[in-house]
Amino acid sequence: MNLFGPVLLGTLAAVVGLSSAGYAEDSAAAAVATPALNAVEVRIGAVLASNSGKEFDARLASLHRQFDILFPYSSYRLVKEERRQVPWGGKAGFDIPGGRYVLVVPREFKNDRVSMKVMVLEGSRPIIDTVIALRNHATFLIGGPRQPDGVLILSIGADTLH
Amino acid sequence: MTCREALNLVPLLLDGELESRQMRALVMHSTRCTPCETELRQLERLQEMVSDSVNARVDELDLSNFWPNIEQRLGTLELSWWHRLRTWWDTSERRWTVQIPAFAAAAAVIAGLALVFFFRNPQTLPDPAGAQVADNTATIEQLETDADSVAVVNDPETRTTALWLVDDTVPGETP
Repeated sequence: MNLFGPVLLGTLAAVVGLSSAGYAEDSAAAAVATPALNAVEVRIGAVLASNSGKEFDARLASLHRQFDILFPYSSYRLVKEERRQVPWGGKAGFDIPGGRYVLVVPREFKNDRVSMKVMVLEGSRPIIDTVIALRNHATFLIGGPRQPDGVLILSIGADTLH
Repeated sequence: MTCREALNLVPLLLDGELESRQMRALVMHSTRCTPCETELRQLERLQEMVSDSVNARVDELDLSNFWPNIEQRLGTLELSWWHRLRTWWDTSERRWTVQIPAFAAAAAVIAGLALVFFFRNPQTLPDPAGAQVADNTATIEQLETDADSVAVVNDPETRTTALWLVDDTVPGETP
């Protein structure tokens, strides 16, 4: 089998291809380095879920499908919503129902994902201490903390700020 | 083998076109059959005469300018660089010193282009849940809990990651 033609073409394309790869790498590096991601906006929502009634809070429209599929409740009510701009490495604390406290520490932005430490405290008791990498503008859910009239579902999101 | 069969095979024997089995049978027959042996010898003699005659005529030819004439014609033939390169590629004894790096370079280019294409078009990956579903999947890099248990829910349909705590403690109550 004569591979002269394909190999020669491949060799010639090597210069072009590797140059393109280098350019792409430079572009990717520039894409990460260029935006001045000085801070991140952290979103916290506290939702009371229960099986008493069939209320679905209109402010939770963007999460309707997730709640229907993931959780076995008929009623969802947003009881608290808060946004806070936090510098990278800074801390943002949020009081949530039940005397609980959520602490969020954004760490870094890499591959279009925000890495952040999330702690949910019940008094001094850490019921969750986790580090997650979440896509920019996405929402992460933590459910299960009991309330007298249902359970609490926390929605935590992050939006980078340029 | 009959004489008729043998006589049919004699010309083929002289032309070197007989299989070893046929050749052996013909020779065995000839040793026992005088007419066939005679026929065989006559044809051998005829072939020698023809060969001698042709060689004699060839010897008379003046071939002293044969190769110089060919070289002169070859000298006027302009081979393209592509043709010369291909000839070298196909015939050079040391071609592998170039071919192996060339194969490696070609493979590197294909891999490089694939990577570039992939990173420039990440959105071209198939989206089983449809383009309208936001990607809310998260990577859990570390997880510790003081609750009774925790479930990590990763739902492909809604592309959502959730943690579900199972904790019987109600604030203000004794567990």
